[in-house]
Amino acid sequence: MTHPSPSYPTIAVTPLLREIPVSARSDMRVPVRIYADDELWTQIASDRSLEQAVNVATLPGVTGCVYAMPDVHEGYGFPVGGVAATRAAEGVISPGGVGYDINCGVRLLAGDLDQETARSRIEAVVHELSRSIASGPGRRPWLDLSGPELDRVLQEGCSYLVERELALPEDVLVTEAFGALPGADPAQVSEQAKRRGHDQLGTIGSGNHFVEVQVVDEVFAPDAAAAYGLSKGQLTVLIHTGSRGLGHQVCTDYVRRMDRVMGEHRIRLPDRQLACAPLESPDGEAYFAGMCAAANFAWSNRQAITFNVRRAFTGVFGAAGRLRLIYDVAHNIAKLEEHHGERLCVHRKGATRAFGPAHPETPQRYRAVGQPVFIPGSMGTASYVLAGTDAGLTLSFGSTCHGAGRAMSRGAAKRARSGAEVRRELEARGIVVRCPSSGELAEEAPTAYKDVERVVEVVHRAGLARKVARLRPLGVVKG
Amino acid sequence: MRLSAGSLAELLAEAGRALAEIQLRGARADAGGDWRPVEVTAPDPVSLMADWLNELIFLAETERWVATEFAVDIGAECTLRGRARGITLPQVPGLVKAATLHRLRVEPAAGGWTSEVILDV
Repeated sequence: MTHPSPSYPTIAVTPLLREIPVSARSDMRVPVRIYADDELWTQIASDRSLEQAVNVATLPGVTGCVYAMPDVHEGYGFPVGGVAATRAAEGVISPGGVGYDINCGVRLLAGDLDQETARSRIEAVVHELSRSIASGPGRRPWLDLSGPELDRVLQEGCSYLVERELALPEDVLVTEAFGALPGADPAQVSEQAKRRGHDQLGTIGSGNHFVEVQVVDEVFAPDAAAAYGLSKGQLTVLIHTGSRGLGHQVCTDYVRRMDRVMGEHRIRLPDRQLACAPLESPDGEAYFAGMCAAANFAWSNRQAITFNVRRAFTGVFGAAGRLRLIYDVAHNIAKLEEHHGERLCVHRKGATRAFGPAHPETPQRYRAVGQPVFIPGSMGTASYVLAGTDAGLTLSFGSTCHGAGRAMSRGAAKRARSGAEVRRELEARGIVVRCPSSGELAEEAPTAYKDVERVVEVVHRAGLARKVARLRPLGVVKG
Repeated sequence: MRLSAGSLAELLAEAGRALAEIQLRGARADAGGDWRPVEVTAPDPVSLMADWLNELIFLAETERWVATEFAVDIGAECTLRGRARGITLPQVPGLVKAATLHRLRVEPAAGGWTSEVILDV
């Protein structure tokens, strides 16, 4: 059951951008800006996401505006699809502003196979993927890391996997932050978190995480598609997962720690899940170092899954099944970035970094067109490739949405449709499904999500990112 | 989870049982084995509830051990000293990822205590 936010006054800035002014509530420090068309606005107003965005606007040191993306929905404390920047020198960092699944993100692989050539082997490759990638809650480990090995993953991220021959050197060049945040410190990750994570590298986990085989079924921007190496009819693989139990424990540990020290910092908040501490305090610095380590674990996790995806593809298709990494981008993270001449801590929770061609952090090979952005649809619906824009820096701290966004809780989704029904419907549309649990399948039914096409259209028309290509699912391995 | 019980100690035990139901996806499971001690200290009942559930969540994920029976005492200054018995499984069917502080409520009510807890699943 969802509850609407209180009714806040809004200003229409453009047809796709509304603002809740700073005067709407006495404790707000900055306005809230929401990107949505009328239909998405109605959905957004039906849950507590606007109230949560207003709560975020009370964080000490928050600057500019708090942004809500078109896929925004109610989260724990901080809305999913929310972006907030705090001044690094005097602002706070909030674990709730990153979320439990630190560096949950998406990576896209593509090769030279096209759908026509591969058509008869799609089921075989999806089956092979489901056999070779551990999915579901706590499923069989693939790699069990020793303490020192895990610490190297936490410190070095994907570079360590290159050394272990689980990654190609060129993969690192097309991974956000080269797959390793330099601020990481494994010593700031608790032993409990390490115990949860030591055997989880290379696993998808449960919830909305998946590996999907897709085909490029429409190209909107030929220049960017060519730069990314994408063309109509080509097979792609999208991997969506994060830092697993390790990241969850890091978030749990630091929400608890910050909740207990907020009083010392004279911080009062409307929601304890937003617990925070000054970035430049021992508590803030410890969380940042632990979060960076968990982010490195998540990039390594997607990289380890990539190793098995590649093995499955070449196992089924031979040398023709070789896959290259297009890009890997986080959508639950806090990063130190320069914006408008100021050093900020940008929290993106369920929001994707989307830097344009001019930004120095856009990978060299994509400088002509902008950083790739991936917006997965719900299971069984299209996903989109977009390109970041330079205008996005002023529109949303260079951020865009991360998915379709839930329109229904997991419980409501399960009550609405059975897993068997969802499976039948997907199979009737020619989508091969491998999922260990019917319940999980029902929770992720397409009807539980907003319309991804509408969400992407708002992003494109608002100038946050531009549409490049649409990917249609052929097979999905769900966690 | 919406919970009610006659005392804070009973409420925490009830929360443990409700969590186990989710972790076991409703499957019947008879507790066995030895009682094991569990101790949690927190500054207030809300934090105590979150920390208690997060400890049980941690044990389920790392040891595949789901606690189903509880004997809970609350000492001074919000210290939970308890014992739990449960089952070890090859795989926990409904792993819960975290107990959140989001809208977490633990309050005295007529005849006892009530609570509302939002879990990340």
